[in-house]
Amino acid sequence: MLRSLYIEGNTPFHRLPVRVKLITLMTASIALFFVSSLQILVPTFVTTLCLYLALGLPWREAFGRIGWIAFAIAIVALATWYFNGLHEALALTFRLMALVLLAAAITATTTISAFMDEITVMLQPLERLGLMRAADVSLALGLVLRFVPEILDRYENIREAHRARGLPIRPLTLFVPLIILTLKDADTIAMAIDARGFRRQ
Amino acid sequence: MTTRDLVLIALFAAIIVFLGIIPPITLGFIPVPITAQSMGVMLAGCIIGAKRGALAYVLVILMMAIGLPVLSGGRGGLAILAGPTAGFIAGWVAGAYVTGLLAERLVNEAQSGMRQTAGFFIASLIGGIGVVYLFGNLWLAFVTGIGLEKAFVGSLAFIPGDLLKAGIATLAARAVLVGYPLLPQRA
Repeated sequence: MLRSLYIEGNTPFHRLPVRVKLITLMTASIALFFVSSLQILVPTFVTTLCLYLALGLPWREAFGRIGWIAFAIAIVALATWYFNGLHEALALTFRLMALVLLAAAITATTTISAFMDEITVMLQPLERLGLMRAADVSLALGLVLRFVPEILDRYENIREAHRARGLPIRPLTLFVPLIILTLKDADTIAMAIDARGFRRQ
Repeated sequence: MTTRDLVLIALFAAIIVFLGIIPPITLGFIPVPITAQSMGVMLAGCIIGAKRGALAYVLVILMMAIGLPVLSGGRGGLAILAGPTAGFIAGWVAGAYVTGLLAERLVNEAQSGMRQTAGFFIASLIGGIGVVYLFGNLWLAFVTGIGLEKAFVGSLAFIPGDLLKAGIATLAARAVLVGYPLLPQRA
């Protein structure tokens, strides 16, 4: 159903700690916006492209993952070319593509649990201020993963009900029962969570 | 935050993910199928309110960032946050918050059906379209340097479809308010 975009592998980029990867991405995304010289942007783009293609993703998969966003960049680049000239458009394309490739490389080499550990660490300051509990994030995430298949089951049932009555699926006759049926479970689930003392209240 | 609020946020995030999985739906009177996921912003704000609606989107974006394909068409990953459309993603959170804020102010259970519908529609228009486009185009204008005005003109093509979605979200939100009201009990 919701399969992670992580790809098994043992490249040096796989072994790099998540924190280092995320800080690199953040630094790159800020730094590259101050650079518009193609002498820097093109080599950066080529480097990230090599990095991304060296991760062991099959070619189709590798292009499929960034295809949509590359298309969006192409449209934006065409508009920039029209309004601001060719140099600006090329700089924008290489800058954004480099960032997208680096980000896609991080997504492909980091497991969900590694990300979650990092998120818990990042949320510590907020927890200390008493604004939220880091453990709640993992709980909520687990609930979503648990309930998406449930909602899809419900969707199938509602479709069956439509078919049995010879009705076409319409947004309103689908969403309204689906949303009410799903949210009605909230009380029972909340009670179950509290009864087990997951949140230690 | 009570456990119930946490569960509502998670369940709504699951609904938003679901909206991206199902095939596009046809409306009957227009032949073009609509993708359901961009309706989620309006639905979230109008149904579970400002705070919970915005947090449901934070959760979806978090799932996207850690590499789950939660957006429509199985898209996901950090790459989307690095691309030119990242502003729209941020706009979802703000949009759901503003939609919720307006819906909480404009709609209550004692009103007539017409007024509730009007309130939800105004909230969906301002929050679900206005705020989302504002964030999306600000980022787009910043990334490209083509200016806010031209970015806005470029996104006008999507407005008719979004108006339609605001209409559907309004009717759905009103039906949910009648069937199982959650908006009045704010988080």
